[in-house]
Amino acid sequence: MRAQLIARRILLSTAAVLVGACNRGAEDTARPTVALVVKTLNNQFFIDMEAGAQAAADSLGLELIVQAPEREIDVERQMQIVENLIQRDVKVLMLVPNGSKEIVPAVVKANTAKIPVVVVDSRVDGATLKAAGGTVATFIGSDNEDGGRMAGAYLIERLAGSAKVAVLEGVPGHETADARLRGFRKALIGSAGMQIVASQPANMERDQAFNVTQNILQAHPDITALFACNDVMALGALEAIAAAGKGGAISIVGFDAQDDARKAITEKRMAATIAQNPREMGRLAVITSYRIIKGESVPAEQPVAISLVR
Amino acid sequence: MTTPGMFTLRMRGIRKSFPGVLALAGVDLDVRRGEVHVLLGENGAGKSTLMKILSGAVARDAGTIEIDGRASALASPREARDAGIAIIHQELALVPEMTVAENIFLGRAPTRFGLLDQPRMVREATTFLSRLGANIDPGQRVAALSIAQRQLVEIARALSLNARILIMDEPTSALTDRESQRLFATISGLTAQGTAIVYISHRLDEIFAIGDRITVLRDGRNVATQEVRSADRRDLIRLMANRDVDEVVTPIPRRHGAARLRVEGLCHGRTLHDVSFSVHSGEIVGFAGLLGAGRTEIARAIFGLEPFDQGRILVDERPLAIRSPRDAIAAGIGFVTEDRKREGLVLSRSVRDNIALPILERLARLGIVRRAEEQTTAESSVRELNIRTPSVGQLAQNLSGGNQQKIVLAKWLATGARILFLDEPTRGIDVGSKAEIYLLINELAAAGVAIVLMSSDLPEVLALSDRVLVMREGRVAGEFTRAEANAERVMACAVGV
Amino acid sequence: MRGIVAGREAGTALGLIVLCAGLWIATPYFATAANLTNVAEQSAIVGVIAIGMTFVILTGGIDLSVGSLVALVGVVIGSALQRGVPVIAAIALGLLAGIVTGALNGLMITRGPLPPFIATLGMMSVARGVALMLSDGRPISGFPQGLRALATSDVFGIPAPVVLMLALYLLAYLLLTRTVFGRYMYAIGGNEEATALAGVNVGLWKSVVYAISGLSAGVCAVLLVARLNSAQPIAGIGYELDAIAAVVIGGTSLLGGSGSVIGTLIGALIMSVLRNGLNLLGVSSYLQQVAIGVVIIAAVLIDMALRRRVQRSSL
Repeated sequence: MRAQLIARRILLSTAAVLVGACNRGAEDTARPTVALVVKTLNNQFFIDMEAGAQAAADSLGLELIVQAPEREIDVERQMQIVENLIQRDVKVLMLVPNGSKEIVPAVVKANTAKIPVVVVDSRVDGATLKAAGGTVATFIGSDNEDGGRMAGAYLIERLAGSAKVAVLEGVPGHETADARLRGFRKALIGSAGMQIVASQPANMERDQAFNVTQNILQAHPDITALFACNDVMALGALEAIAAAGKGGAISIVGFDAQDDARKAITEKRMAATIAQNPREMGRLAVITSYRIIKGESVPAEQPVAISLVR
Repeated sequence: MTTPGMFTLRMRGIRKSFPGVLALAGVDLDVRRGEVHVLLGENGAGKSTLMKILSGAVARDAGTIEIDGRASALASPREARDAGIAIIHQELALVPEMTVAENIFLGRAPTRFGLLDQPRMVREATTFLSRLGANIDPGQRVAALSIAQRQLVEIARALSLNARILIMDEPTSALTDRESQRLFATISGLTAQGTAIVYISHRLDEIFAIGDRITVLRDGRNVATQEVRSADRRDLIRLMANRDVDEVVTPIPRRHGAARLRVEGLCHGRTLHDVSFSVHSGEIVGFAGLLGAGRTEIARAIFGLEPFDQGRILVDERPLAIRSPRDAIAAGIGFVTEDRKREGLVLSRSVRDNIALPILERLARLGIVRRAEEQTTAESSVRELNIRTPSVGQLAQNLSGGNQQKIVLAKWLATGARILFLDEPTRGIDVGSKAEIYLLINELAAAGVAIVLMSSDLPEVLALSDRVLVMREGRVAGEFTRAEANAERVMACAVGV
Repeated sequence: MRGIVAGREAGTALGLIVLCAGLWIATPYFATAANLTNVAEQSAIVGVIAIGMTFVILTGGIDLSVGSLVALVGVVIGSALQRGVPVIAAIALGLLAGIVTGALNGLMITRGPLPPFIATLGMMSVARGVALMLSDGRPISGFPQGLRALATSDVFGIPAPVVLMLALYLLAYLLLTRTVFGRYMYAIGGNEEATALAGVNVGLWKSVVYAISGLSAGVCAVLLVARLNSAQPIAGIGYELDAIAAVVIGGTSLLGGSGSVIGTLIGALIMSVLRNGLNLLGVSSYLQQVAIGVVIIAAVLIDMALRRRVQRSSL
C-alpha cells in the first residue's frame, strides 16, 4: 500500500501534465455519480435528452456522465461502455438500449454489481431479460406504437382516406422503430383506400433516406404520402422529394419532433411529426435515479406523453 | 575553358559519422569550373556520403564548403539547389506518369493567372532539351522513355535549375554503348559552357574517355587526386582497393562436360525468334547484344517467368515443362536477375533469411524451420563467398552492392543449382567486388556449373566467356569461340553490319 | 534484426505502460482487478480480428471485408442454432464460412487482376448483403447456454475470450517466427517479385493469408455472438478500421514486410485501455473520438521516427 503511494507520487509528477488535460471527471466531489448511456450523440433527440438530464442533475446535485457509441447500431460498443461505467461505480445506470435483446448481458452485469438500471425510450426485451435473470428498476418512455398509430390516423384524415403511401423503416430489429412501424400499419388497416406501395429500411440515417426515397420515387412516382420512422429520415426524404420536383405533392410525416422538422412543418414542407419530448425523458430519468438513491420505490412504468405536431 | 586556380567548389576537412561508423574522416575536394571531376572508390569509401552532403541531403559534422569563394552551409536540398548544385540519381527520380515537361518543372511549373502555363512550360522544356541535343518530345510521358532518355530529362531538369555543379552517380550503368557515347558528348557540351561535373563511376574505360581529374577515396579519406592524362589504370585500382586486384581474372583451366541445358527453337511473341543454344557443364556462355535484343527475355522464359509460344527446353537431355520458377529451381536452374533490388533480394530481411528463402522447405520439418540448420547454411555461404557482413542477421539493405550480389549468388548456390543464369551480374558494383565475382564465376564453372552470362559490359563478356552468342532483334545473330571473339566482331554482329 | 523488432515492440509497450500509469493516477477505478479483466475482455473482439489483419498487412495487402464477415459468420451460426444444429457444429459451420469467404478474397486477388483494396471492398458489401438476406435483416437471438458459456466462463479467473485471444496470439507468433509459412509472409511483404523468383508459390500463400483473415473474423464473430447472445446482420461495422488501427499502432508497416503480432496485441490493448479510460473519466464521447485518432497518428509518427533512426544507424 505504502509502495503504491510512493509510486503514485512519482508517476504523478511525470504524468500530471498529460493527465491534467483529460481529467475532467474530478473524483474529489462527494456528489453521487449517475450515468446516462444513449444510443448515439449524433442525433438531436439524444442531445435533447442529455440536456434535460443535465438540467435535472444540476438542480438535484448529482454528477452526471453521458456516454454513447459512435454509431447508433453498435450494440457491442454500447455494451463496452456499460461495462466500463460499472467499473466506475456509478450509483444508477440510465440506459437507452441499442439492441433490446443484445443489451441484456450488460444489464445482468449491472445487476450483479448492484447498480440499478433505469431504461429510457427503448425497451429491453422482457422475455430475454427474464430468461437471463436480469431486472430493471423502471422504464421511462413514450409508447412508440401509439405514436405510429397517431401518425397513421393523421394521414388518413389529411388525405381523406385515400393515398399511395411510402414508408421509411428504421434499423431492422430495433424495438423503437419497429413499434412505430407496427402502430402506423395498424392505423391503416381500417381504411382500404390507404395503400402502402413501398416500405424500405433507411437505417434512421438522413443520407440513406435520401437515396431510398429517390429509388422509391422511380418505382412509384404517384405516391402522395410518406411516413418515416424518425425525423432524420423524414428530412432526407424531404430533400429527395424536393429534388424530384414533387415538393408539396407528398405529405410527409416524421417522428421525434426535432427542431429542423418543426421548422419544415411551419414552412409547410412537411405535414407533421410526432413529439416524444426527449428532454422530459432525460429529466424524469435523472429524477427517478435520485429517488432510487434516496431509497424510495419507483413505479415500473413511467409514460411520457406523446403529441402530434402539425 | 578551364582557368587554373579558380575553383567553383572547394570542400575542406569534411567529416561525417553515423552511429558506429566513421563515413568521412576529413575529406577535401576541389572542383574547377568546366571540368569533369571523377570520384573513385570502392563501395563504402564515402563517395555517396560526400555527395549527399554536397546535395544537402545529409548534414556534415565538420568541414567547410565554399562555392565561388563564398562559404555555404548547404543545410538542406533546397539550399544546395539554390547554390547551383544538382544531382542526377543512380535510381532516376522522375514521375513516370507525368510528361517530360511536367517532370522538368516539377514543383515549380510556370503559371499564368494561377493556372498552369502549359505552352510556356513546353517551350522552355524544348529549349533545355535542345541545348542537350536531345530529341525528346516534351509532351511525352516519361514512362514511355528509355533509361538514357530519362537521364537526359533529369539533366535538362538540372539545367533548368541553373545548375553549375552537376553530380552524376553511375550514369552509364543502364546505358548501351551508343547511348553512353551520346551522354559523353552531352557532358562535353556542358563543360564547354562552364558547368562542373562530379562523376562517379566504376568503369575505368569511360573515366579515361571523359574525365579531367580524378580523386580517389578510401575508407573515408583522400588517397590521391591526379590528372587523368597522367593516371595509370593499375595504379588507380591499387589506390582504391589498397591491394593488387586482377581487374579481369584469368580463366581457371576447366573441362566442359555433357550438355546441361539445351534450348531448341524458343519463340515468344515479337521478342524471341527461334532461339537455340546449349550450355555444357563447366562452360560459360556469354550473351552479348544491344539493350532490348532479347537477352533477358531468354532467361525469363527459361526460368518460367514468361510463357513462350514454341520451343523445347532440355535439361540433361530430358525435355522439361517449366511453368514457374518453382519448376525451374527443381530442375536445378538459378537466375541472378539484372535488377538485384527489385527481383533479387528482400532488402528488409536478413542475409540469413535471403539465403534460406528458396530452400526453406528443405530446411524445415513439418513446416517448422530448423533454425540451427538455417544458421549453419547461411554462415557457410557467407564464408565461402566471402560476403562482408557483421553477421548473417544483418539486413540485406545495409550491405554494399557487391555483397548484396553475393547474397543473390549464395541463394542460388544453396539450392544446388547446376545451371546458372547471370543477368548483368556486376552492374553498379565496385572494382574490388567485381573481381571477386569474376573469380567466383570462374570457380563455379570449374566446379561443373553451366553458366549463362548476359551482360552489356562487353569486356566482361569477352573476358569470361568460353563462347559468345550475339543477340540481335530477338535472334541469335552470331556465335564466336573465345579465340574468335573480340570487341569489333561482336559489336559488328550486334548492330548488324 | 531481432533486436530492432524487440526495440520497436518495446516502444509500443512503453506507450501502453505510460497510458496505464496515467489512468492509474487519474482515476481510482482503473487499476482494479475487475476493471483490468474487463479491459482485457473488451480487447478480445478487435484483438482477434487484428491477428488475421496483421498477416494480411505483413504481405502488403489489406482486408476491408472483415467487419462484414463478422456479421455473416454470426448470422450463419445463429441460423444454424435456430435450426437445432448443435453448438459445436454451428460454430464449425460459421468458421468454415469465414475461411471460404476469406479464401474467395484471396482468389480474387491472386488469380484476378484485383488489388486487395478493391476485392475486399467489394466483399465487404457482398458479405454484409448476404448476412442481411440470411437473417431477413433481423437479429437472431435465443441461443443454448453452451454458446453463452464461451463469453461468461473463465479459466482461473481469466475470462474465456481473453484466454482464447492469448492462445491465438501465441499460435500466430509461433507461426510467424518459427515456420516456413511465417518466413514467406515477411518475404512476400518485403519483395513479392524476389520471393516468387525464389520459387515460392506466392499466389497460394497469399490466398491462405486471406483465408486466415476470414477465419479470425469468424472467431471474432463467435465471441461476439456469445457475448451479446444474439447474431446481428449489422454487427461489426467499422471493425476493419479498428483492426487496421491496432495493427498500425503495433508498428506493422502498411507497406508490408515488417511488423509482429505482439505489436498488434499491444496495439489492440492500447485502443481498449484508451476507450475504457475515457469512459471512466467521463470524457465526452465526441472528445473520445478525437483522442483515439490522435493516438493512432502519434503511434505511427513515433514508429516512423524510430525506423528512421534505425536506418541512420545502419548507414
